[in-house]
Amino acid sequence: MDTSNPAVLVNGDLLGSYVGRRVRTVIQVVQPSAGGLTGRSTDEKQVVVKGQMPSPVTTFVEVIGVADSAQAITAEIVTNFGDTTFDANNFNQLCQHANGAFRHLFI
Amino acid sequence: MYGGDFDGNAAFSGGGFMPSQATQSTDPFPSALSKHRDTQTLIPLTVRQINKALLSNDDKVNILIDGVDVNNVKLVGMVMNKAERVTDVSFVLDDGTGRIDCNRWVHEAVDTKEMEAILERMYVRVHGQLKGFQGKKQLVVFGIKPVTDFDEITHHFVECIYVHSYNTKLMKQQPGSSNQTHMPSAAVTTQTYQTGPSNQFTGQHVADGLQGVEKMVLDYLHLPGSLARESGVHQEELVKQLGIPLNKIT
Repeated sequence: MDTSNPAVLVNGDLLGSYVGRRVRTVIQVVQPSAGGLTGRSTDEKQVVVKGQMPSPVTTFVEVIGVADSAQAITAEIVTNFGDTTFDANNFNQLCQHANGAFRHLFI
Repeated sequence: MYGGDFDGNAAFSGGGFMPSQATQSTDPFPSALSKHRDTQTLIPLTVRQINKALLSNDDKVNILIDGVDVNNVKLVGMVMNKAERVTDVSFVLDDGTGRIDCNRWVHEAVDTKEMEAILERMYVRVHGQLKGFQGKKQLVVFGIKPVTDFDEITHHFVECIYVHSYNTKLMKQQPGSSNQTHMPSAAVTTQTYQTGPSNQFTGQHVADGLQGVEKMVLDYLHLPGSLARESGVHQEELVKQLGIPLNKIT
């Protein structure tokens, strides 16, 4: 039973609290770039992602990686989450719960 | 004919023994089975919840999470380390909160096809049973489907939160029900996520049979203010509050 490598569910706000730790979040892609992308978190904060991207990349991507700072992630795994139907608000609220009252279910 | 009767008798006497044996041996079975069926609800969980429960439950046959017997679980996560073998396919499910070993027994072509569609690093929804195997717990998977709408991931975690809240609230309401034995926990689990709570209303059923005036009086007596008073509620007060003549109340 391996509990290593848990990745904390974060949004833009929470990213800063987990610098250096493995995190996962969903980003809306604003600008793909060489070796990464710039995106917007579910709570409208800018996030820069470094790492290998799937191609083509969809509007929403899930990024699992290590938080470099409050605005940057070095990605290990990037998964396309589709172009349209992703409920960002839902995800945002989930992040707040997962780091708040219900932390013990996740971390 | 006599032989037939005799056979009938023999059958009966055999039957005389058999039903009682049957009632002894099968009666617990149906009730245990039916309770078993009632308690085998499908619970959405995170791997972290499972691991925490395993740490505290150790060698018990059935693990308990939030006071509920956990048999069938639903998980959503990423497939890692998929290994296909002749009779089964094993993989590790990583849902971000932890990793759990999963095993899918492959008996028919349908199963093989289903597993072939599951690729490494794909998000899937998994239904299965927690089973011990060589000292480790693993998930025996009986249903697996790729996730196509990624809101499902959010939804699964939200559902885990909801079920956890619901079950812990139930646990708080019934502190007497012991989590150790199976029978009381069966009573508790009939109120789990899948079925609505009913025990909370039994107190009110007593009042249902009463007539209008009596019900009004009873309701008034049940008010917290009335219950708190040691001396009870005077008849005249009832008259004043309810506006009913005294002869009707007595």
